[in-house]
Amino acid sequence: MDTLINVGVARIEVATNPAILRTILGSCVGVCVYDRMKKIGGLAHILLPNWVKDGVKEKYADTAIPMLINQLLKMGCSREFMSAKIAGGASMFRFQANLALGQIGERNVEAVRKALAAKNIPIVVEDVGGSVGRVLDFHLEDGRMKVKAAGQEKMYYKV
Amino acid sequence: MQISVKERLESIINNLDQLPSIPEVVGKVINMVNDPNVDFRMVAQEISRDQAITTNLLKLCNSAYFSKGKEITTLDRAIVTLGIKEVKDAVMVVATKAVLNRAILGYDLARGMLWEHDLAVAVMSKNIAMMKKDRAIADLVFTGGIIHDVGKTVLALFVQSAFKEILAKVESSGVSFQQAEREVMGYDHQEVGERILAKWKFPQVLKDIVRYHHEPDNAPEEQRKIVSYVHVANSVCLMAGVGIGSDGLYHELSEKAIKRIGITDEELNQLYSDIPDVLRQVKGLS
Repeated sequence: MDTLINVGVARIEVATNPAILRTILGSCVGVCVYDRMKKIGGLAHILLPNWVKDGVKEKYADTAIPMLINQLLKMGCSREFMSAKIAGGASMFRFQANLALGQIGERNVEAVRKALAAKNIPIVVEDVGGSVGRVLDFHLEDGRMKVKAAGQEKMYYKV
Repeated sequence: MQISVKERLESIINNLDQLPSIPEVVGKVINMVNDPNVDFRMVAQEISRDQAITTNLLKLCNSAYFSKGKEITTLDRAIVTLGIKEVKDAVMVVATKAVLNRAILGYDLARGMLWEHDLAVAVMSKNIAMMKKDRAIADLVFTGGIIHDVGKTVLALFVQSAFKEILAKVESSGVSFQQAEREVMGYDHQEVGERILAKWKFPQVLKDIVRYHHEPDNAPEEQRKIVSYVHVANSVCLMAGVGIGSDGLYHELSEKAIKRIGITDEELNQLYSDIPDVLRQVKGLS
């Protein structure tokens, strides 16, 4: 059995094959970055889009993603072999349109796309939006991402 | 012909023996503490009748969450140091763990997920009440937070077999998941929870928290505010993925509830942003 590593809210974990990184998502976004040559990957659980003064940097897309990439580079990964898969960013089914927190899922997805583009990491898979909760399993054996949502499992192999 | 889901569920919730149990002392303690003229010694005496509860309770009173620094070794000391309401909250945590800390299959919650969610909602509801200087009911929303989803423990098996139908109802009629539960199975997890609390002889206010946590605006007027604390905390925890299951975010976040407890947009964002701190507080409960 591969080691299962649970990645908590606003946490970043990096590991080498064999291991599975798991996180559970509502409006948060799980960012899986994989180096297909080294079989090393990292998962960031993003709570919010943009860093605010005195904030814990692991919480925000624009600060957590550079941290994640740096950790991977330190482990010997190369940016040219990295790709990203993202999941999450759901919204409450019903809320008043003027409620800022209601949009947080979409804003998280936007900020994640932007932060990955800034680091030149291509996004090869997105499983985002809607009102589902998602359990994300990131397998470092081959970089595949399994998403369980609303009682159904989907497997994404692209790296 | 096969007996319908509705009929099977009906027979279970009308049969007290089939609903989960907790130690008898808990209902007594909750009702005693709910009485403004409560005698502390009577409460201590009542708790001490249950040795297992007493042992675990003293342990919990010394946890990072409840401890005030000095070690607590007796029930009398616990009540004097922490206060009767805090001790009642600790009794709740100790007594409901066996019912709530398990896998909830139909909702796709692995063992421990519902328990972590319930504790997070309890802690956050109390934090909001304290923030809004509504101290008198802070312990009540904590207790309500712990048990708000207790109905899921019974409804889960039925949800498992009716899941596709429930989700189809959500998608075709645009109703929330819990409303679809009611339409497909006859009862939702709030109503089943209310039945369980009736069995446990819990006071009306806690039954109302459980019954209306997804629809606070329909709660009886005198309890609407209390229910709203738990509603907001529950919504924010689910959005952050804490205890989110197969029902996902197919729920409603009531703006009226947010306004009712006087939370600004900024404060609501802050509650969501502070989720990691709440989870740390939850860890301090063990």
